[in-house]
Amino acid sequence: MENVSGSGSPKQASPARAPQPLSFTGKGGEYFGIWIVNLLLTIVTLGIYSAWAKVRRLQYFYRHTQLAGSSFDFHGSPIKILIGRVIALVMLVCYNFSVRLQSSMTLVILLIVAVVMPWLLRNSFRFRLYNTSWRGTRFHFRGSVAGSYRVFLLNGFLTLITFYVMAPFMHQRLKAYQHDNSYFGRTQCSFHARAGQFYLIYLLLLAAMVAFFVVMGVAGVGSALSTMVHQRQAGKVDPALVLRTVLILYGALILVGVSIGPTFRALITNLIWNNTRVGEHRIECNLSPLILIWISVSNMVLIVLTLGLFMPWAAVRLAKYQIESMRLVPASDLQEFEAAEPESLGAVGEETATVFDFDISL
Amino acid sequence: MLQANYFDGRSTRVHVVGVSVAGDDLVIAGEGVNFRVPFADVKVDERLGLAPRSLRFKDGAFCEIRDLDSLDTLLRSTAHRDGPVDRLQRSLRFVLFSCVACVLIAVAAYRWGLPWAAGEGAKHLPPVIGKTLSVQTLKILDGAILTPSKIDKERQEALRTKFHSLRLQEGGTPSSALLFRGSPQLGANAFTLPDGTIIVLDELVTAMGDDQQILAVLAHELGHVHGRHGLQLLLRSSAVGAFWTFYIGDVSSLLAAAPAAVVEAKYSQELERQADDYGAALLLHNGLSPGLLADALQKLTERHPGASKAGFLSSHPSTDERMRRLRLLSPSTPPIE
Repeated sequence: MENVSGSGSPKQASPARAPQPLSFTGKGGEYFGIWIVNLLLTIVTLGIYSAWAKVRRLQYFYRHTQLAGSSFDFHGSPIKILIGRVIALVMLVCYNFSVRLQSSMTLVILLIVAVVMPWLLRNSFRFRLYNTSWRGTRFHFRGSVAGSYRVFLLNGFLTLITFYVMAPFMHQRLKAYQHDNSYFGRTQCSFHARAGQFYLIYLLLLAAMVAFFVVMGVAGVGSALSTMVHQRQAGKVDPALVLRTVLILYGALILVGVSIGPTFRALITNLIWNNTRVGEHRIECNLSPLILIWISVSNMVLIVLTLGLFMPWAAVRLAKYQIESMRLVPASDLQEFEAAEPESLGAVGEETATVFDFDISL
Repeated sequence: MLQANYFDGRSTRVHVVGVSVAGDDLVIAGEGVNFRVPFADVKVDERLGLAPRSLRFKDGAFCEIRDLDSLDTLLRSTAHRDGPVDRLQRSLRFVLFSCVACVLIAVAAYRWGLPWAAGEGAKHLPPVIGKTLSVQTLKILDGAILTPSKIDKERQEALRTKFHSLRLQEGGTPSSALLFRGSPQLGANAFTLPDGTIIVLDELVTAMGDDQQILAVLAHELGHVHGRHGLQLLLRSSAVGAFWTFYIGDVSSLLAAAPAAVVEAKYSQELERQADDYGAALLLHNGLSPGLLADALQKLTERHPGASKAGFLSSHPSTDERMRRLRLLSPSTPPIE
């Protein structure tokens, strides 16, 4: 190949060097047909078909994601995903019972989960990246096992004993472990966000939450409570006022509940991707917290109103916004990437991580 | 001629090529690429809506195709046949059928499957699980909202003796432990732990006019013990929680927690009715009137004007309706007053 050497030509503003936005061409209605048929097949086969359904779902989303005129693709094998799901299910049942039971077995089971988890998570990164490709070149994850124990066990432990003061630091270490060890073909990715930047976002949200509750408490609930105290002294509490206060409180909690997650996700996703590079190519991500809140809330409402049937549209909407908020800023021609040697990996890790609801937000 | 982007699988270089059929072979020709391959050796991606499809070759190279109509035309002149799931996904009739079938299955699973599974599960769980859960729960409650009982020991013993001399329809006498506790927050209340231990709060004892009404409340609680309702509820909410996390998790983890609470409230109404029926039968079996339970409910309603959220009445079906049911079961008890 003629462009293998990384020394890009000094020519500026050639079409290949212009920022390349990611685009997503999936449609809710189109995905609905695929989704509902696979859902039925999954139910009829008592869940076994879910592995095939998952491959199809990922392929749908990956192939509809395009960069510089070419699609991403997913190559995971359904059988491996099925094996992963079985193991994940067994672990989930053990985990749930041990947490609910709180007996001496709890500690043993939690210990086993803690020891196995970092290894599984590392495998999950490997499986997911290895089976992702663009223009026929696969991604790879080469993080070491020792590194995963450091990131998940040691830092997790430090986070707990410092009462989550170290949580932003751990988050930064986790992302560094993930992104510094990711490769596209032979091209290594790198992560440049510092722990201080993670702390800033965490503290900002914490401060916003505290401020919100103080204002709520003083302005809303405080005055209602004082009225109630007066009424109580007079011998009669107005039930409507009590109801209104409770409703305001619930409303405020729901408002905070639905906006805090998307806001955090928008800010942290922007930070992570804006500080990730693929070789010399930069990535830009520009998620707006307000739009993300709007999408999350309206998705939730519509899913509830349609008894779940809106799911495919919700998933497509969210994916489209998130994907199209990103773009790649090439430092040189995008034709220069070279594939690495093939490897074979199991899906055990990824499935376990999905069931245990760890956010590996790639 | 079908236009495609050819990738060799070793680099990200795009080769614009044309694909055509020649006998049993495919011919791929374009900038720097020119080869023939037997169609039998080519893997064709299934359709996923309007996503690009690829023709994949054995060496890892492939042609990415966006012109799906031309691809279909080309494939028609080959031995290619669409897979069964591919056809189902594109059949409007099957999509509609799936839609109806999924909704019906979901309703049936929720209405009959879940209660049945939880009932069976609660029956077959080893007793040690209920025991451990109860010990833990009581420990937590004692530390948080329960205080030692202020009712004197003789009265406690007297109630215990009466309770344990109730004759169960299924034979024998109640084996449940009966504990007394106080609780300013919970008020007049009685509840059952998963292993069958019944906890009576002081306010309930003082609220009831006589011991027979207390026994009536205990008979209702024995209904919960008999049906293992504590474990059933636990299993149901776990199952619903797990399902929603799985179903909706990638869109909203916040929403996943909500349905479990709703389901719990609905199911617990059903379980209350079962416990009422069991309690009424038990009272009759012991020569007492189910109306006693109705009277007890009325007492509690009077103590909690409006919809009280904490107490024996919370999450129960409309108290009026329950009282009506219980009084219908009574032979000839005049309502109180």
